[in-house]
Amino acid sequence: MEDANLEAKKKEKYGAGVTILILLAVASVGEYIIAVTGQNLLKVGADMGFVLILIGVFKAFLVIRDYMHIGRLFSNGEEH
Amino acid sequence: MSAETTAHASSNRLAMNRLGLWLFLLSDAFTFGGMLIARFYLWGNTRPELNQQLGFLVTIVLLASSFFANRSETAMQFGDLKSFRKYALLTLGLGAVFVAGVLFVEWPLAGAHVPVNKDVYGAIFFLMTGMHAFHVITGLIFLWLIIRKADKGLYTAQKHWGVEAAVVYWHFVDVVWIFYYPALYLIGNLVK
Repeated sequence: MEDANLEAKKKEKYGAGVTILILLAVASVGEYIIAVTGQNLLKVGADMGFVLILIGVFKAFLVIRDYMHIGRLFSNGEEH
Repeated sequence: MSAETTAHASSNRLAMNRLGLWLFLLSDAFTFGGMLIARFYLWGNTRPELNQQLGFLVTIVLLASSFFANRSETAMQFGDLKSFRKYALLTLGLGAVFVAGVLFVEWPLAGAHVPVNKDVYGAIFFLMTGMHAFHVITGLIFLWLIIRKADKGLYTAQKHWGVEAAVVYWHFVDVVWIFYYPALYLIGNLVK
């Protein structure tokens, strides 16, 4: 019973990692398309800087919260 | 010493270890941040001619390595040493591909357009990518060390601070690249 619980928890954590990867990949592809389209087609490359920085902040937020687990810093440190 | 006291001391040490690591990362972030500010100050709203597709490709490789780093830590949390080893080696391999891509493909290509000693474009590009690559290489060494230690049975599901620290450091290197990649390759008008 306990083994099954642990296995379910592990799968849940792996699943959360996949979700973050998908979000990061979509944001990265979006960032690239916005930059290249803006520069080559719309000729507004320089104006896209702020949008690209915002996308970067979003990606960094995901990594820091979900991959680096910054929340552990404020927990009581009993995870392992 | 009672079991409760020992557990409390161990928990305290882990909290201090985490605080120490994050303070180190914060101090390192100031170094990287300073270089990012230098890029915007010196390049303004311009950028040199760099291979954007290659930059995108190495970015995806580094993101994938972060994903596997997360998996390796999760595996260790559940005492799954076999999966830990597999995912940590994948992280290591992708990290090596990233470094090789930057140092042996991007640098020679970029060097043709933006020589390191000609103007601010070359100076900033090689400074930022060089400093970042140096951190990736130290991260690779760190990963290799935890794989070796895990092989020797020094980590368990309950005690694996070394693994957590190496993985957090690896993600930090990824966060830096999240800002460096658009700043170097995407933002600004192309300077011919």
